[in-house]
Amino acid sequence: MESLVYIALFAPFVGSLFAGLFFARSPKSILVGVVNPALIGVSFLASVALAMHVAEFGAVHVTMMDWISMGGLNIPFGFLVDEVSVTMMLVVTLVSTVVHIYSNGYMDHDKSFNRFFAYLSAFVFSMMILVMSDNLAGLFIGWEGVGVCSWLLIGFWYHKEDKPFEENPSISPSWAANEAFIMNRIADLGMLVGIFLIYWNVGSLQYNVVFDALPNLADGLLVGIAIALFIGAMGKSAQFPLHTWLTDAMEGPTPVSALIHAATMVTAGVFLVIRMSPLYSMEAVSGVSMFIAALGTFVAFYAASMALIARDIKRIVALSTLSQLGYMFAAAGLGAYWIALFHLAAHAFFKALLFLGAGNVMHAMDDELDIFKMGGLRKVMMGSYIYMGIASIALAGLPFFAGFYSKDAIIETAFNEGTYLIWIMLVITAGMTAFYSFRQVFFSFHGEERWKPLGFNPHDMYKYVLVAMAPLAILAISFGWFMDGYKAFITKNLPAYEMSDHTHHIAWLLGALVVLFAVIGIWIAYRKYAGKGAMAWQRDEKVENSFIYKLLENQYYVPHAYDRFIVQPYIVASDKFWEWDNKIVDGTVDTIAKTIYDAGDKSRTMQTGNLSTYLNWMGAGALLLIVAAAISAVIG
Amino acid sequence: MDHILSILIFFPLLAGILGFVVDKGSAKAYGISVATVEFLLAMWLWMSFDNANAGMQFTEFAPIISQFGISYNLGVDGISLFIVIMATLITLLGIILLDESKIANMKNMIVSLLFLEMTMVGVFLSLDAIIFYMFWELSLVPMLYLIGAWGGPTRVYAAIKFFLYTFAGSLVMLVGLLAMAYLYHLEAGVWTFNLLDWYQLDLSTDLQFWLFLSLFAGFAIKVPMFPFHTWLPHAHGQAPTIGSVILAAVLLKMGTYGFVRFSLPLFPDASVSMIPFIMTLSLIMVVYTAMVAFAQKDMKQVIAYSSVSHMGVIMLGVFAMNAEGLGGSIFLMLSHGIVSGALFMLVGVIYERTGTKMMSEFGGLAQVMPIYATVFGVMLMASVGLPLTIGFVGEFLVLLGFYQVSPIGTIIAGLTIIIGAVYMLTLFKRTFFGPITNEKNRNLKDLDRRELTALLPLVAIVIWLGIYPKPVLGPIDNSVQKLLVEMEYKARTQEAKDMIISMKPEKEESDKEAK
Repeated sequence: MESLVYIALFAPFVGSLFAGLFFARSPKSILVGVVNPALIGVSFLASVALAMHVAEFGAVHVTMMDWISMGGLNIPFGFLVDEVSVTMMLVVTLVSTVVHIYSNGYMDHDKSFNRFFAYLSAFVFSMMILVMSDNLAGLFIGWEGVGVCSWLLIGFWYHKEDKPFEENPSISPSWAANEAFIMNRIADLGMLVGIFLIYWNVGSLQYNVVFDALPNLADGLLVGIAIALFIGAMGKSAQFPLHTWLTDAMEGPTPVSALIHAATMVTAGVFLVIRMSPLYSMEAVSGVSMFIAALGTFVAFYAASMALIARDIKRIVALSTLSQLGYMFAAAGLGAYWIALFHLAAHAFFKALLFLGAGNVMHAMDDELDIFKMGGLRKVMMGSYIYMGIASIALAGLPFFAGFYSKDAIIETAFNEGTYLIWIMLVITAGMTAFYSFRQVFFSFHGEERWKPLGFNPHDMYKYVLVAMAPLAILAISFGWFMDGYKAFITKNLPAYEMSDHTHHIAWLLGALVVLFAVIGIWIAYRKYAGKGAMAWQRDEKVENSFIYKLLENQYYVPHAYDRFIVQPYIVASDKFWEWDNKIVDGTVDTIAKTIYDAGDKSRTMQTGNLSTYLNWMGAGALLLIVAAAISAVIG
Repeated sequence: MDHILSILIFFPLLAGILGFVVDKGSAKAYGISVATVEFLLAMWLWMSFDNANAGMQFTEFAPIISQFGISYNLGVDGISLFIVIMATLITLLGIILLDESKIANMKNMIVSLLFLEMTMVGVFLSLDAIIFYMFWELSLVPMLYLIGAWGGPTRVYAAIKFFLYTFAGSLVMLVGLLAMAYLYHLEAGVWTFNLLDWYQLDLSTDLQFWLFLSLFAGFAIKVPMFPFHTWLPHAHGQAPTIGSVILAAVLLKMGTYGFVRFSLPLFPDASVSMIPFIMTLSLIMVVYTAMVAFAQKDMKQVIAYSSVSHMGVIMLGVFAMNAEGLGGSIFLMLSHGIVSGALFMLVGVIYERTGTKMMSEFGGLAQVMPIYATVFGVMLMASVGLPLTIGFVGEFLVLLGFYQVSPIGTIIAGLTIIIGAVYMLTLFKRTFFGPITNEKNRNLKDLDRRELTALLPLVAIVIWLGIYPKPVLGPIDNSVQKLLVEMEYKARTQEAKDMIISMKPEKEESDKEAK
């Protein structure tokens, strides 16, 4: 089993090195396009084998070697494959395999094809370290590793120049990459503090040791650790107020958005909370957990509201990702960890599918993102239309698709916990989700072919790419059917969250309500954008000038506020400090030096070579000495 | 090889003197061979170093002026071993990077560098205060010459500033060292400048305080600590690449090494009581100079100010009073040496090609010089402390260790991972990303063989010690624990004893419970 763990972990790493060999040299190597997906596939197969092993015999724990050891600290490279991590491994490697194959088609004409695969496989490797490590420091390696890969991949087209904010809200790929990295680092500081707190109070960073020690720790300390670690999670999972980087990250190539900024990396925060569930489910930190649920609910609604009017196809999908992450946090915060994890997996499948579908549209439309310029695309790209339709149905949570089971369970949990405000918000958000998902589908695939006068010549993606997307589509439809089986598997490790009898009785009603909201959302979208005589895609000045529209279009002015109240003051303060450094700090040094120099220069005039002048000075000096001696005698 | 330490110190000196008669054309080759031998000697030292022994090894002792107790006294332990190795490595790679076609008087340059190497190695191996002081001051001379003879337009101002400023501090330090010997004489009746003897001397907290301050003057200016740092940007701004590389990589470490070797074990009580003072200055260094670095328009100045910021983190580690923090700070000295050395080399590379270091002149270099951009990227990531690069290990350990001293201080110091990323990523974006704005840069050549030879070993070390730092951490850990035990034993006040953690935390816990 040990070797399987290493195969699952290191196959992507080998892939990254392999593609790295061709790094900047040849324009495109077919070999890379074949070998890399194959290696990720190997990693997936190893994960499947491990999952079966875990289901039968329980967790596998291996320790490779020591990493850092100093004083009382000892951090090994250790890997733990249990129910939680193997779920993540399966999700990560499966989506990664599809995305790797997909990238062959999508990045076909890119001159940095090989570099792309080197980064993408390196990302998978980092993500595997993140989920497989048996200690918090190891998790932090993966945590930062995915951060760097994300930086490299968002900024993949680094040669693009900066545009003004009004023209492009994410300015440029390199700008967005830096924003993502720095914002994540803010959260990482919180995470480090959590790690320090754990180390100085437990003496180890190994999960099992930490979990065993938790009951002995003081309540205040537990709250501190819970808050600090959650701050880390907020950065990676783009929770308010550290969310702005996620929509800007859409500057990266679309396969990257699908893999990193939808399916895997952004769920790392949720994973952290689930991994630390022994901490977050403690009575002492129930306040923090409730805050997590509340914040998640807020983000779910907040992001969905912006998606209602967004015109950029990738931003819509990104905002829906943000919104769904909110759902996951809501579930985790309410204690339904396994439901959060289940939704995480389901979401990974249908959201990756949705993103890849959006990528097909972009590919067809020469990287055009504005859905106002699309329309009627289903005639030319039937395959992508079906895929995006399936993904949107799953996302909207229509019956028997994946989202129906996972999202419904979260909403039911909120009801079950008696947190009715959260419940109602989540139900409303579900309606909004259905609306904006189908708005985007109708906009791009139905109605008039608005691209025709603009001179586009859309065509569907390569056949093999469409075939490669099939597993995601199948899972987007059917993943929910395995819910009971998965529950039996995962609750060996995570608390088995059960609905009360009361909730259980009216579960059908709650579910029906959610579906009703979703159907209403879809119906409105249909009436406005796809039905007979729907002309809403023609821009309406009155709406666009309204306050609410402006608020949503400007992302609630949060990026503006950050620029105005954080970035600009920081720049001004830095310049000021530099000025002070020169004028005051260095100025003082120079003044002292100059005073000494001047004193020497002035007293040089004493050296006249004239004997009588010297005698005068000698007399003055003698007098001074006598006076000094007299004074000291008096005082002494 | 009983006298390996003497050989390490004086081989570069003798080779340097011989260098005067070497043919001009082969000066660089001569320099490389000498530096290679020196580096191999240092590696041999590591191979024969006993990792289990936390004390001084390969000691050499010969009285020089016995009536004053001045002796030729050398030794190496886990703390100094790797700094010496790093110094010899950086010197070697720095010489490799020298461009014969660009540097006038290559022979003089090589001779200066070899003298400088002697003084650097000497400082870290000396166990006698006078010998230490001698090497400490001698190191100024070749550096003064490097800046003054091969520097930029205002090199004379920068060189004199560097010399006078650090020299003034050193004189105050010398007074402190002499006072220390005098106090030892009062106590024991004999004169000695032997550091290991001094360790045994029990001083009142008052005396500790004043002596601490006098040594602080010398060390703090060298580090350089805020507000004594302003000589550094001038020196870096004017120094030739090799000068900046050695200055940042090795010479600054003399200051922090001084704190570890002298201030901590000699004045444990004063060290503990000075923590708030040191912490304040260090935190200002970390945050303030990082912001100043962000404001720079010149690439080299960004790296120069970032050095000050990182040295602030090292200072915090030195005063963390536990093995995690102190050991981390020693490791961070090494990693900062490697990374800042490499970054200064990289800036030198582009300066040689274009004659400018201003970021506004660049943009889009990643398209023209992909290998250069990659190496720079690796060093950038090490500089911002990415896990699995050398930069993370030390930074993590220092912050972890200092958390025990002050959580708030650690959070402020932890800002370094944010604002460090801000100025480095901004530099990278301005220089390497975006469209190529300057037509002149369109045909720049990527790294050539000479540059790769100098840089790739550093890349390899950055990754190797990032993944597997154990061979280096082990000896450091031993020596640091020994130092802390001695400090705790020697400390007079209970406050200091409580602060100094010479044992592992879990033992500490059980001790508390036992009480």
